[in-house]
Parts: sequence; structure tokens; C-alpha cells
Amino acid sequence: MLFNTTNFFLFLSVVLVLFYASPRSWRRYILLLASYYFYASWNAKFIALLLTLTVIDYTAARWIEKLPPGRKRKAALSVSLCANLGFLGFFKYYNFLAGNLALLFGRPANAWFLDIVLPLGISFHTFQSISYVVDVYRGEQQAVRDPVDYALFICFFPQLVAGPIVRARTFFHDLLKWSPPVADDLRRGLFLMALGLIKKMAFADQFAKVANGYFQNVAGNPGVLAAWSGVLAFGMQIYFDFSGYTDMAIGMAKLLGFHFPVNFRRPYLASSITDFWRRWHISLSSWLRDYLYIPLGGSRHGQWMTYRNLMLTMLLGGLWHGANWNFLIWGGYHGALLSIERALGVRPEKPVSAWLYPIRMMLTTALALIGWVFFRAADFTQSRLILGAMFHGTAGQWQLEPWHMELIVLALFLALWEEKWEWFERLMVAPRLVYASALALVLFGVDVFGVIDASVPFIYFQF
Amino acid sequence: MRPFSSVRGVAFAAFLALIGTFGLDCLVFRNAVYTHYLEPESSTGLFEMILRREQKAQKELGDNLVVTFGNSRFAYSRKIIDHLPQAPVYMVRDAGVAGSNARVWNYMLRDLDPTAQRYRAVIIGVDDYDDEDRAFNPADDIRELHYVIARLRLADTFEFARSFHSPALQWAAFRGGLLKGIIYQNDFQGFLSHPEKRVDYVQLCDRDWANWAYDYQETEANMSGLQIDWSTLQVTWPPGANDDQRGTVNSFLAHAPDPQTGQLAAYRRQWFGKIIERYRNSRTKVIFLMLPRGPIPRPANLSVKKSSSIRDMAQQPGVLLANEHAFDELERPELFRDGMHLNREGIARFSVLLTHEIDRILGDPQPGKAR
Repeated sequence: MLFNTTNFFLFLSVVLVLFYASPRSWRRYILLLASYYFYASWNAKFIALLLTLTVIDYTAARWIEKLPPGRKRKAALSVSLCANLGFLGFFKYYNFLAGNLALLFGRPANAWFLDIVLPLGISFHTFQSISYVVDVYRGEQQAVRDPVDYALFICFFPQLVAGPIVRARTFFHDLLKWSPPVADDLRRGLFLMALGLIKKMAFADQFAKVANGYFQNVAGNPGVLAAWSGVLAFGMQIYFDFSGYTDMAIGMAKLLGFHFPVNFRRPYLASSITDFWRRWHISLSSWLRDYLYIPLGGSRHGQWMTYRNLMLTMLLGGLWHGANWNFLIWGGYHGALLSIERALGVRPEKPVSAWLYPIRMMLTTALALIGWVFFRAADFTQSRLILGAMFHGTAGQWQLEPWHMELIVLALFLALWEEKWEWFERLMVAPRLVYASALALVLFGVDVFGVIDASVPFIYFQF
Repeated sequence: MRPFSSVRGVAFAAFLALIGTFGLDCLVFRNAVYTHYLEPESSTGLFEMILRREQKAQKELGDNLVVTFGNSRFAYSRKIIDHLPQAPVYMVRDAGVAGSNARVWNYMLRDLDPTAQRYRAVIIGVDDYDDEDRAFNPADDIRELHYVIARLRLADTFEFARSFHSPALQWAAFRGGLLKGIIYQNDFQGFLSHPEKRVDYVQLCDRDWANWAYDYQETEANMSGLQIDWSTLQVTWPPGANDDQRGTVNSFLAHAPDPQTGQLAAYRRQWFGKIIERYRNSRTKVIFLMLPRGPIPRPANLSVKKSSSIRDMAQQPGVLLANEHAFDELERPELFRDGMHLNREGIARFSVLLTHEIDRILGDPQPGKAR
């Protein structure tokens, strides 16, 4: 069930009706059952995996809390980490490792392959579990008493398959002190869902047609303009796809009385790559910061160790996206850019002068687009081909239609307006007619631009 | 400014937003300006241009008008008719659209002849008076939504959607009938890409398209050499037969019979029935006309046709059948450009025979009775 389908809206409507029509004590069970049903609609087999990890992490956290500091406590943490990373490693990375090892030993790449299907959302829910158990270990989070609460934290359907990665303290604060959403939550929830719909259906899916057309036939679309426009289309697709999904997830969570963190803050307006990572997939970058970069030493042990930590964090961040050399290169590319910016003293906190900002913004976007080549290309050979085409050769043909460019200009205008004047916040406190008109405009956008019947899966579902 | 602060207030705002979305859709798409500036080469744009041309013709060409409806197989030349040594009694006008069918013609006719008095006759070209079902149910041809989208009124939404059989198509038709923007997406996006070019092209078509259509000459290509062994459905192709020719022969003529389900008869009864109903108390005749069947006619006994809805409908007053052998002489490979369409010579001969057949059926006009 994709979020932008009639079936999902029917499902959500039923869940909302059952949730609010039931006695309060039943509501957690309704959400849990709905979440398992939602997950089962993708692949019922992996419910067992989800339950196994839920039991392991729930139990490990309870032990960790009870045990005094020492070896046993560490062992409980290790069991949980091994289970999470073990399952993630097996399902996501086994074939990658087996393929590379086979090549190393002179065997065909698929010699030791297994027929593995990646469980939906495994990268997200394992990271969420890890953060919970580690927080309990660090004493920053109390172990949850009720297994139903913990199970719901892991499989809550709005964010189960593609995030945002919600921290335990945020989720349990909402769950344990649940109160019905107020009008402000509903206003935001509804608008975010509509915004998510237009981002996904009218922007992401439209740009996907161009991006897919280019990446599936790079040789047939030679030239600098073709390469840049194809990559730009993918840059637009991935942003609108993922941030659209997140907006819908946050929106529907609000309708149910939960508050998820912001996951995107207009990343293409960033003035540096460092700034970009504070605006892009914030829940992942902050997870990597808190559970990888800082434990590695962060910036506390000198310049070179900082660069090493940045590189390691981004390499693992790249690998988190998929078992593929291209993701590793993408992570390494961003790690290198972050290190270079650090060496040059680029700090997002430092104000950028008005005349310099557009130049830095365009440069950052161009650098991010170059990175997307590795992210989207089928393999390293195709990445090299595209990068080559982006920087030399014939002009070629611009792949985007003028109306695509009009959509980009509109999106840029709205992003700048939000950045400077926060139109979203103003709209949330506007009179009813203004709010309703804005909502109607968004839905009208879906009407005239939305890709309606072709179900284009969300990109981040594959991770 | 104070935000609305109750849950009921939010629900009302959401309701207003839905109304607003519908209102915006109506504002942009349910008006004559937008439909005038549709891409002329799209199916909807072509449909609308034909409608406008024929509405204009009604004002300019007097009382003895006869209008024909059909798909691309119903091809004749107005130019040839105009240059016949003896002018025909009735002025034949072509309101057919390539790829269209009865449901489309019904909606076209509703706006072309709202009083049901403007024509002496409505002539409907069909492949066969008997009902031979094919695997595809004509009721589920979603292209018809695109042809008639500009003609659909709000009150049509349910009926139009229900006329499709598959639930998925019913939903698509309902959704499109309600929010026309969904159907106009490609056109709207194309307009946004090149608005000036679109306006210029529409104006050019407004000025010249009727003349282009009038002067259009079909290809001289023919199917000489085509043979079909009906017992094995083996085809002997004309030398140099192209993909289009092979495709049309295979799909239209040399195919095994499909199961006879009655779906074509149901479709014809529903939509031709509506057209006949429209003219029930009018002096306009509804005439069914069997088109030349192909370069080599498919033997009638190849499939067992269970019904003949058109012959049944012709029992009603004001409904007539053209002679089903009127065009037999055209059913020769040298008069067809592919497996289903007449070529230039075929069209020329068909145009002459058509006027004779219309004059024969309608007889002398009785002034003042129509219009």
C-alpha cells in the first residue's frame, strides 16, 4: 500500500475511525494491529522477523536496565546490536559481500549468491531499535514496560517503511502521555498530507519519468545538457519523493496525536554541503552523528581524526542506503566534501553575505547533483559515463520540458518564501478561508500535475 | 488574525478545500475558452474542432443537412461530392472522429443538435448490422473518456462512469468526469510549456483546418495481391506489405472468432438506443449504414453471431437501414490501403455511392420539416 493510493486512504480512514471511536485503552492495540496489517500488505512473511527483533530488543533493554554496569550489561547490549546488525547485514549485505568475495577468489560474482528478498523498512526499524537500546544502555531512556508499547514504537505504520527515524523518547512521550490532537495538529496534519501528496505525485513522479528516461538510456541521450538535466530531474525526484513521503508520515502521525521530527528543511537552499546535511534526511544524519560520529570521537581528537570520523560516518551512511559500491562512493564523496569544508573553515552557523549566498547555493546544489549520479546510476561504469558527459562533449538535448522548469521555479520560490518568511507557519494561523484556499490550491496541483494511476514506489522504500 | 481553533473548524476547512479544488477545476476546465484552446492534434482537441466546424456549418449551409458519424473507416470526400456532375439532394457533413464509437457519438450529437431538429438524418456507419463480439469489450474503451471529456456535464458523471464494466475504469471515468484536470493533464502541461505556440496553432487551425480536411487526399497504396485462406486463416501478403497493413489485416479480418458474449449488442443497445431516443419525436431519421467490410470480406459464417441489435432497432419508427450490399463493389484489395481503410480510389467511389444511397433512402426533401 503506497501512501498515495486510494487503498491506503481507505485504510487510513478506517484506522482513524476505529481509533477515535474506540475506548482509549484499546487504541494502542488498534494502532498495533493496523501497523502489522499495513506491513503484511507488503510481505506478510517478514512479520516474523519484525516480531523477533521486537522481542529481542524489548528483552535486552529490560535486562540492561536491571543489570548493574559491567560485562553482563554489555553482553545484553551486544546481543541486541548483533541481532539487529546481523539481520540487517544478512538481508542487505550478504549478496554484496558474497559477490565481492567470489570475485576475489576468481569465481563468478553470483557463485555464492542467495535468493534474498530485502524486508521492507529493515534499515529504518533496526536503526530505531539500536538507538532505543543504546539510549537505555547510556541511561538516557527508561526501558519500556509494556511490550505492546515497544512493538508499536518499532512498527508504527506512518514511519515503518521509510522513516523518519524517530527516537524512543519522542515516541514514548507521545504514546504514554497521549492526548487527542488539537485543532493545530489537525490543521498541520491535513496540510502536510496534502503537501506530501503533491510533492510525491506532481513533482517526484513527473521528474521520475525524465530521470528514468535518461538513466535507462544514457548512451541514447548524449551531451552535457542531457546529462545535467537528467541528473537534475533525479535530484528533484529524490527530494520530492522522500520529503513528500516524510510530510505524509508526519501529517498522518499528527492526525493520530503523535509528533514526528522534521526530516527535511529545504536542502537545495543549503549554502554548503555541511549545511546540506543539516537539512537532508535530518533524522538519519542526526542518528549517524549521535550513534556513530560522536562515539568514534567526533571532532574531539584533532583535525585528522575528525576527517577520519567524517569519512567513516559518511561511508557507513552511504552503505546504509544499499549494498553497492556506488552507495559507498556516494558516502565517501560526501565525507570528502564535508572534510574539505571543515578544512576550509566553512561553518553553516556563519552568516553568508547576500551576494555570495546564491553562488554558494548553486555550487552546493551542483555538488549534491554530482553525488546523485553515484546514487542513481546502475553501476560505477554508468556513473563514469554520466560524469564524463556532464563535463565534456557535445551540447546534447535538455531533457526537461519547459513546464518541468516552471515547477522547479515554483518550488524554488516557495522554498525561498518559507526560508525567509515561513509561509507554512503563517498559514497555520491564518483564517479558515485562507487555509482552505491554500489547501485547495495544493489539491488542484495534484489534479493537474499528479501522476495518478502509475504507482511509482517511493525511492526510500528500497532501503 | 486568529486561527480557527476547533476540530469542527478544521473539518469544515477541509470540506471547503475540497469544494475549492472542485471549483478551481471547474473554473479552469469547464469553460468554452479552455476547450477552444485544446491541442488540435489531441483526440479531445480534434473532437472539439470537428464539433465547432459542424456547428458553424449548420448556420451556413441551410436546411438539407445530413450528418454522418463513424470512425476512420467511414471515410469519404466532401470535395468529391461537391464536384459531382449532379449535385446530391442532401448536404452530407462528416462529424465522425477516428477511433470513436457509439458512446462518443451520443455525446457529440447532444451538443451538435441540442433541439434534435437540425438534421434531416443522422447516419451512423457500422462494420456489421449483426453483433460479432471481439475479446475487448467496447464498453471498456477508456479512450472514449478522453474524446468526450469537454462534453461531459456534471450530471453525466454517474451515468458515464457506470457505462464502463470494469470497476477500475468506472472509478477512472468517475474521477475524470468530476475533476477534468486529471484528464486534461497532458494538454495543460503542454500548454504551460508553449502557451504562445498553442494559441497560434489553434488560431491557424480555426482558420485553415476545415480546408485542410476538405482537401485531404488519402494514399494511393493498395492491397492488391492480398489473399486469405479462411479455413486456416493463412494470409498471402501483397508485395512489400508494411506493418500497418499486416496489423490491420490480422486484427480486423484474419482472426479466429472470439467467444460471443453479447457485450457488443449491449453496448450498441445502450448508446445507439440513446441516439434513437433523442430523435424519437423528431423528423430526423436515424440511418445505420454498413461500411465496406474490407479488402476481402470476412465470411459471415466464420463466427456464429447471436444477435443483430441494429436490425432490431431498425424496427422502430424513424430508424432505417441502408442497403447492406450498397458498397459490395468496393470490397476489393485494390480499393483498400490496409486491412480496414479505403484508399484514395476507394474513397472517391465510396463518396459517390454514399450520396446515391442517402438520396435513395431519404427521397425528396420536404421543405420546412426539419430545422
